[in-house]
Formats: sequence, structure tokens, C-alpha cells
Amino acid sequence: MKKIEVTLKNVVNVIREFYKPTKHHFLTLNGLAIDEQTTEIQWIFSEYAKTDEIIVFYVDVKEDDVIPSIVEIIPSAIISQREIVDMFGLKVEDSQSGLYLDEDSLAKPLSFGCAI
Amino acid sequence: MLESLKKAFTNLFKKPQTISYPVGEIKKPKDYRGLIEYSEPDCIYCLKCEKACPPGAILFVPTENPSDNEKNKKSQIYEYNPWLCIYCGECVRACPKPQEALWQSEKKPNVATKGDRVNDGWFEIETLKKEGIK
Amino acid sequence: MSKKTINIPLGSQHISLLEPIRFKFTCENETIVGIDSDVGFVHRGVEKACSSKFKFDAIPYVVARICGLCAITHSLSYTMAVESLLDGEVTQRAQYLRVLMVELDRIHSHMLCLSHVSENAGFEAMFMRIMGDRESVMDLQEALSGNRVQFDYVSIGGVNRDIQSDVASKVKETLSELRKKVEGYIEEFENNWSLSLRYKGIGALSKEEAYSYNAIGPLARASGIITDVRSESTALPYNDIGFEIVTKEDGDIYARNMVRLYEMLNSITMCENIIDSMPEGEIFTKLKGKPEGEIITRLEAPRGELMYYVKGSKKPILDRVRIKTPTFSSIPAFMHIFEGEEYANAPAILASFDPCMSCTAK
Repeated sequence: MKKIEVTLKNVVNVIREFYKPTKHHFLTLNGLAIDEQTTEIQWIFSEYAKTDEIIVFYVDVKEDDVIPSIVEIIPSAIISQREIVDMFGLKVEDSQSGLYLDEDSLAKPLSFGCAI
Repeated sequence: MLESLKKAFTNLFKKPQTISYPVGEIKKPKDYRGLIEYSEPDCIYCLKCEKACPPGAILFVPTENPSDNEKNKKSQIYEYNPWLCIYCGECVRACPKPQEALWQSEKKPNVATKGDRVNDGWFEIETLKKEGIK
Repeated sequence: MSKKTINIPLGSQHISLLEPIRFKFTCENETIVGIDSDVGFVHRGVEKACSSKFKFDAIPYVVARICGLCAITHSLSYTMAVESLLDGEVTQRAQYLRVLMVELDRIHSHMLCLSHVSENAGFEAMFMRIMGDRESVMDLQEALSGNRVQFDYVSIGGVNRDIQSDVASKVKETLSELRKKVEGYIEEFENNWSLSLRYKGIGALSKEEAYSYNAIGPLARASGIITDVRSESTALPYNDIGFEIVTKEDGDIYARNMVRLYEMLNSITMCENIIDSMPEGEIFTKLKGKPEGEIITRLEAPRGELMYYVKGSKKPILDRVRIKTPTFSSIPAFMHIFEGEEYANAPAILASFDPCMSCTAK
């Protein structure tokens, strides 16, 4: 598994240069709560017809940052972005809440220290 | 298409596939996963079965009249909840004396009624374990 | 002059729906032009429970209860992820027994989808026939593991019960009768007009759209993409037992039915090869230590590709378990397919996707 670090400003350009639709396969977005103010967001890719090749881009975000959206490059990322908004309470461009929880609920189950 | 017509016609004369339970019997397979049974004189009170159980259906709680076993140093007694158990057998695999002190039989649990106090009785046992005898 | 549109729901309670999902269609004269969906009806919070309440050796039993049909694939995928973070090795006999259960599970899950598809075409007699033949596969799984639906068969280090010789001969006998029945189904699905003419050209997904929407599973293989996790990962011994990829070209409902039928034939061949060449040895080895580090594993469930991400730091309770289920990543693809189709075909298209909502909203 290869891990590559990016920043919030250049993640859209890095993914646009890297991703080719007939060669790479986008799996999902993932979040990981490190402590009360920091969360690590990961974009996970794999390659068609090669064995055991997984590539991960990651960045650390704080509570008020806005994560850019990659829906123009990869149309199927919209559902993973809506899940990050519900479960961690972060802000993502062009994605509204309401996929798993109610639209006006205050709960953020997977953020650090949330006792639900 | 003629094949489907022939097949549909012969299906009229077959007997149904449902088993008429409880009038008819269900055949249990060999090695059916049933209730867990315990024999107190062989137990060494190591508490490995309590740590291995995934839903927490085995608890050792403090009691005021302990048994005569010399290994029972903290005066505990064994409690088992057959309606929380998932019959996986992890406790039998974790026990140091698997066929003498703890084993899995082939009996089915009986249906719970209101007099069994399934929820309230078990909540009292869990509070007793957390806080001790008052 | 703009045309007037009406809103029709395919609600969470509907006569031909098996799963709790809700769509709101915007239609002009029976053609669908817009769509909105809602999927979180059975959210239970399993990911939060795995990182706060249960210890790492009890989680195979928790995670198997996310879904009833794909229970063994969830539990096996988590177990493979944790075993690579501990030290020790699993024996070959245990790996072969695990693959036997996964392939038997794939056979009966495809039978459920095919029977639901033929019920939506109006052919109820076929629905009853396939469901009746499915019972023999579940009887085999009960003889192997002790239970028909939730097997509790896989634990960290190996499997729980061994296979005896009379169970092995019963497996081979049942599978050879099942092969003749599956060849009968292939003939019916190709020649009977309710199932072949009715479904050609409906719900089609072309190859470029499948690449851009990242389709997985039988959906991608019916559109012509050659992708299967069983040939892209080396954790389980699929290359030694005769695995072959099945693809078709058109991408409509008829092609997806054919892909599922030929996959069932391939699974029957693989199960017979496993019983013939089972290696000797123990079925369980004790692995020591607590998990440390992070790992990603993938496995081929009957509906597509399943991914697990596990992170631990030498404590009994893990830091993070992330589960990506196959229906979760197929939802953008089916929202695209519905545009331009007629409203009366909507239940049939939904049944051919084989959705599993309790996996999606964990």
C-alpha cells in the first residue's frame, strides 16, 4: 500500500493528473479521527488487472477547513463525500447532509470523543 | 416453450416442499449447536470464558454463600443467559479443561415466558457485577 | 412551451420491493427525467461500535450480522485484515475450507437474485422453482457449519469445524444434481420469451459509462470490463482450483442474468475441485499479540468488491474499522441508468442490480 501526502490546495490537480478512467479504479473516501481538532482524510485508488496495488492520498484537516470536491473528475464520489459530512461533521463543497442521519441532527458519531 | 409447459404440468402432482411444523418433526443435523453446560467441581475460576464471550452472556458475580471449591478465592458464582448467547462455542475453546468443566450439548433452549423475567433479572446481575454486594 | 412534469415516488413500501429504499421520480408522460434517492433507513452504527465497545477478537461475530446474505464475506474479510497485522500463518486446509463456504454462498445468493428478476417479469412458476432448489444448498451449509444463515464459521487463526467424509460425499452428490438444473435454467432464460425478449435492450450501461462511474461486480462484467478481485489479489488460492472470468458485451438486463448463470456453473466446478484436492493438516493455529499498523484488504462478494480498512495501535480495542460495501458504490451508476427509461420498467431494473440495503446503511 503506497501512501502519498498532499495539501488541500493541490489535491484536485494531483488527482486530475494521476487518474485515467481505463487504468485506475476509485474505491472510496475515508476519515480517521486523530485527536479533538485533527482528522485525516484519505482518497483510495487501485489499478485494474494488477495484483495487490493500492494507492492512497492523505491530508490532515482541522474543524473549519472546506474540503474540495472531485465530482467533476470522478462522478461516483458524490456518495462518499456526503457520508463524510454526516459522520464527521466536516464541510465538503457541493455536498449536503442527510444521507444516513436526519438533516437537522446534531450528532457526529465518528468524530473524536463523541459518546454516542 | 414446450419444456416449460410440460414442467408446469408435472409440478401439479408433486407434494409440497413445506414442513408442517409443529405437527411434523424437523430433522436436526449431527453436531447441532446447543446450550452450554457447566460442572462446578471441575472449574478452576480462571475467568477466561467470561473474557472470550462476544455478547457477554457468561458472568461471574460475587455471592454471599460460596461453594466449597478451594479455587473459589473471591466467592464468585457462575451465571449464564441462554437468550443472549449466540452458540458460537468461543467459551469452550478458551477453557483450559474443555470437556470436563464446560461443554456444548445438543439441547434447544426453551421459549421465554413473562415469569422468567428475562430482561430485568439480567440487568440486576450486571449491576451486581459492577458495584458488588451492598 | 415547456412540458408539465409530475412526481411519482417508488416509496419505501412497495409491492415489488425487497429492500427499504426510496426514489422520487420526476416524469414527463411516463419517461423518467429526474431522480432523487434516500438510502439510510436501516443505519445501526456498526462502525462506531467496532471502535468503542467490542474487543478485536469478538469483531468477526459482530460484523457478520451486518447482512444476512453476505455474512461470511464480511467476517472473512475482517479476519484476513487482522491476521496480516499479527504474527503467524494460517494453514492451507483452513484456506481451502474458507473458499468452499464462500463459493457455496455465491451460488445461493445468485439464485435469489434470478428468482426475483423472473418474478418481476410475471413468470411466477420460475420463481417458485428456483427457490425450491435453493434449499438444497442451504442444507449443505447447515451440515458443514451447524446453522443455515449466520454461520459463525471463521475465527482469527482458522475455521471452527472440520469436514467429515460423509459430508464431503453428500456435497459432491448434491452439486452434480444442481449442475443439471442450472443447465436447464440457462436454456429457459435464453429461449422463453418472457425472460429473453422482454429484457433485451432495457437498462443498458455502455462500456465508457461503466469506466467513468467505477462499476463493480456482475454489473461491470456484463458491460465488457474484465475485472474481478479473485484474479487481482493473491490472498486466497483461487488460481489452483480453476477460476475463470465470465464477461458479456451488451450491458442490459439480459446480459447480467447470463453472467450470473455462468458464474454459478464456474462455482460448482470450483467446489468439486476443492473437495477432490483438499490438503491435510490442522484447521486452527493460535496467533499471538495485538494488532498494530494499518492495512487494506479486498474480497469478491456476490454483488461486487468489498473493502476493509483496519488500524490498530497495540490495544485490545481498535482505532478505526472502515467498511465499503458493493451496493454503496453502485448507487451513482444506477441513478444514471434510470434517466430515459419508462416508469413501468423501474422495478425490473432495480431487481437486476441486486441491491442489499442493510449492507449500504450500516
